[in-house]
Amino acid sequence: MLLEVRDLHVEFHTRDGVAKAVDGVGYGVDAGETLAVLGESGSGKSVTAQAVMGILDTPPGRITGGEVLFQGRDLLKLKEEERRRVRGAEMAMIFQDALSSLNPVLSVGDQLAEMFTVHRGMSRRDARAKAVELMDRVRIPAARERVGQYPHQFSGGMRQRIMIAMALALEPALIIADEPTTALDVTVQAQVMELLSELQREYDMGLILITHDLGVVADVADRIAVMYAGRIVESAPVHDIYKAPAHPYTRGLLDSVPRLDLKGRELYAIKGLPPNLTHVPPGCAFHPRCPLARDVCRTDEPPLYEVSPTRGSACHFWRECLNG
Amino acid sequence: MPEQHYEPEPAVAGAAIGGTVDVGVEEAETLEKRPKGRGGPGPRDRPRSLWSDAWRDLRRNPVFIISGLVILFLVLISLWPSAIASGSPLKCDLARAQEGSRPGHPFGFDGQGCDVYTRTVHGARTSVTVGVLATLGVAVLGSVLGALAGFFGGVWDSVLSRVTDVFFAIPVVLGGLVLLSVITSNTVWPVIGFIVLLGWPQIFRIARGSVITVKQNDYVQAARALGASPSRLMLRHIAPNAVAPVIVVATIALGTYIALEATLSYLGVGLKPPSVSWGIDISAASPYVRNAPHALLWPSGALAITVLAFIMLGDAVRDALDPKLR
Amino acid sequence: MGRYVVQRLLQMIPVFVGATLLIFLMVNVMGDPVAGLCGERRCDPATAGRLRQEFGLDRPVWQQYLTYMGNVFTGDFGTAFNGQEVTELMSTAFPVTIRLTLIAIVFEVVVGVTLGVVTGLRRGRPVDTGVLLFTLVVISVPTFVTGLLLQLLLGVKWDWIRPSVSTEAPFAELLLPGLVLASVSLAYVTRLTRTSIAENRRSDYVRTAVAKGLPRRRVVVRHLLRNSLIPVVTFIGADIGFLMGGAIVTERIFNIHGVGYQLYQGILRQSTQTVVGFVTVLVLVFLVANLVVDLLYAVLDPRIRYA
Repeated sequence: MLLEVRDLHVEFHTRDGVAKAVDGVGYGVDAGETLAVLGESGSGKSVTAQAVMGILDTPPGRITGGEVLFQGRDLLKLKEEERRRVRGAEMAMIFQDALSSLNPVLSVGDQLAEMFTVHRGMSRRDARAKAVELMDRVRIPAARERVGQYPHQFSGGMRQRIMIAMALALEPALIIADEPTTALDVTVQAQVMELLSELQREYDMGLILITHDLGVVADVADRIAVMYAGRIVESAPVHDIYKAPAHPYTRGLLDSVPRLDLKGRELYAIKGLPPNLTHVPPGCAFHPRCPLARDVCRTDEPPLYEVSPTRGSACHFWRECLNG
Repeated sequence: MPEQHYEPEPAVAGAAIGGTVDVGVEEAETLEKRPKGRGGPGPRDRPRSLWSDAWRDLRRNPVFIISGLVILFLVLISLWPSAIASGSPLKCDLARAQEGSRPGHPFGFDGQGCDVYTRTVHGARTSVTVGVLATLGVAVLGSVLGALAGFFGGVWDSVLSRVTDVFFAIPVVLGGLVLLSVITSNTVWPVIGFIVLLGWPQIFRIARGSVITVKQNDYVQAARALGASPSRLMLRHIAPNAVAPVIVVATIALGTYIALEATLSYLGVGLKPPSVSWGIDISAASPYVRNAPHALLWPSGALAITVLAFIMLGDAVRDALDPKLR
Repeated sequence: MGRYVVQRLLQMIPVFVGATLLIFLMVNVMGDPVAGLCGERRCDPATAGRLRQEFGLDRPVWQQYLTYMGNVFTGDFGTAFNGQEVTELMSTAFPVTIRLTLIAIVFEVVVGVTLGVVTGLRRGRPVDTGVLLFTLVVISVPTFVTGLLLQLLLGVKWDWIRPSVSTEAPFAELLLPGLVLASVSLAYVTRLTRTSIAENRRSDYVRTAVAKGLPRRRVVVRHLLRNSLIPVVTFIGADIGFLMGGAIVTERIFNIHGVGYQLYQGILRQSTQTVVGFVTVLVLVFLVANLVVDLLYAVLDPRIRYA
């Protein structure tokens, strides 16, 4: 396995108490595989990714337990300097909002070239040539002319391509993309996603795709991990989930996607709100919103039951759910 | 002004006013801000939560409590100075000039043989009066003009904005020297008038800016689309949200106006003897500083603490009203 | 860019006219300009009348203003109370004040920015709280008090420096006055830098820089500082005008014969020409400094384009 996260715990100290943003999360990705991490905002999917990358703001965040095994090494045990060499070079990250994630006062060429001068010790001129090459790779027209331009001079889609180029620069083994297309126009979303998965296949990289967009997931993901209130509630190959979800939360997510064949019917919405992370409900965190909830859900926290060798669900009544 | 040529980030604009908690967890924050029920927080909820949040913060802030107590004390002694210093600040005895601390005269005597303690206590009234009245004048004039200019825009806005440019181009102390040097009236009024005259553009800009910002908020646009009248928009939706920055700046300005009065009196154009003002005393004491440093230090200390108290109060209020900065 | 500069220069004209006219009117209200011309004695009515006509003081104020400005643009600032050309006073006073201002700006940049960066990166730690408190105190204590106290301490008590500056005002003697002049702005620069650094430290592009695996030093210097210093640079630029205007107090305390001193003397002796002349130049300096700041903004921040 390329990356394996085991029993990760992350806490945030807030004024209202300790928020368990990530509470025992585990998932894994192989080379060439795409894992989609699904969940509402506040589910802990981004925080998990930041902990894996080692870019968590500490304080207020704190990793209180678990392992992040990357190519066999536990990243959490590395010294900061060793960690830094891994970042960008062996695993890279793509952020949601390319406009704010790129430095506004440096040209895109400088920001791309920096990867080569810092990690590879290249001369500035060679690095610049590499930057143009990368921009060509991600199909930015007139790369040679535009390499000196600033982020605000590019369109949203082009900026996200630059983010992708930057992540790709040193051909890392793993890319974490945090909502890479959410901020883009729908027409551009597909192009960018296509580019990303094409490059992933070409370089045989592992890809963790953090999203709440089920449409994107169906097209590109191999596996899905669904997160709720800092935990994984369901983890399965993509086709299994689309065929029949084994957790009522997953079902709720799928049912709230508009479908052409159900046109005219009222769209399903999961009732209630995600919990406040400083005061997560006892038992199953989802029980106040769950249509299947019974007494046991209010008291006993469900473990991740094995539905099949490749599939897990954290619902006491997963069988019931699976059968609709 | 140069034009900012990039896409605005709506998230930031919202956070400046509606932000409730600063926990550092983006995701936890989104939870907190999630509207309760349909339609999100109504415009009337906003100011209320902003003010009550700010008040809750302030009550726990030691800076606010300390500076508040200092200011309360200052106000009390400027109302009833005789309560703690019964003598007259004008009763001086040249024979005792430059004497140090004596029983009954804890701060000693100045170059004219006046009791420094009595003069320092009585000096508070001048400073507090000038500070409070000048701030009121500046705040009223500046925010009314600024709000009108920001709300209606157009020609008046351009003209008023140019006028503020003119006032900004004149160095304050210099303007004070020129204008006040002809005035013979030895009361606080010319000084207050001068500060209002040169001070209003600062509040004008703040008020105008925040009215323009608030005006662009979605809920104000919505109210306007629903046919709310300009006066209703202004009083109901814009004023409550634009008033916070004005209060913050005015509180801090109050401190600087007190310093300005003392500076002008030090230069000999503010208040003149026989008025009692810390600036006058500091100026009078500086030639004798070698022999009687205490006559310089006590009024200087009182002045510094007073200005500090107001500036710290303003700082605390700003932190409370703008959680983004914390 | 060229068009923007022209547009800005045109915009400066009404401000310049407004400010100088305001001062001109103030000075005219201030008192009888002729009274100053006769020195300490009172002028006899005949002489006063003659002088009045000679200087065109019998004409309406707006005509006087136009004549005056006309002369100014040919380099004639008139004569001061003692018969000296105002331009002559300027040529001795401005170099001194410019030196003083330069020293003040160096203090602002070196001390202010350094403290701001250090505290911005260590928010909430003891260093931060300490410096923050110190800046509050510096801002609160009026400059003339700071100046007098430092003069008392360093010049009188410890005898480290001469309490007053000689007429030539060499750099070394201006160090303490420069620090006093800079004190309040320095505190503002510290706070501004601190806020700016602390705000940008949480920005997305700094997170990206960290995620790229850049060394901490590079993240701070190249990504964080570059962005955070933009408002600081513009503040310092705009401060030049304020510093030169605010030098009156500092120059008075340390007896420096600069612009502030000449202005103060001019006001005391009711020398209209001196006051208006010096103020005109100060207003010009202020306006030009602000223009330069706006142009600098575009150099530092590529997002800004001039319409």
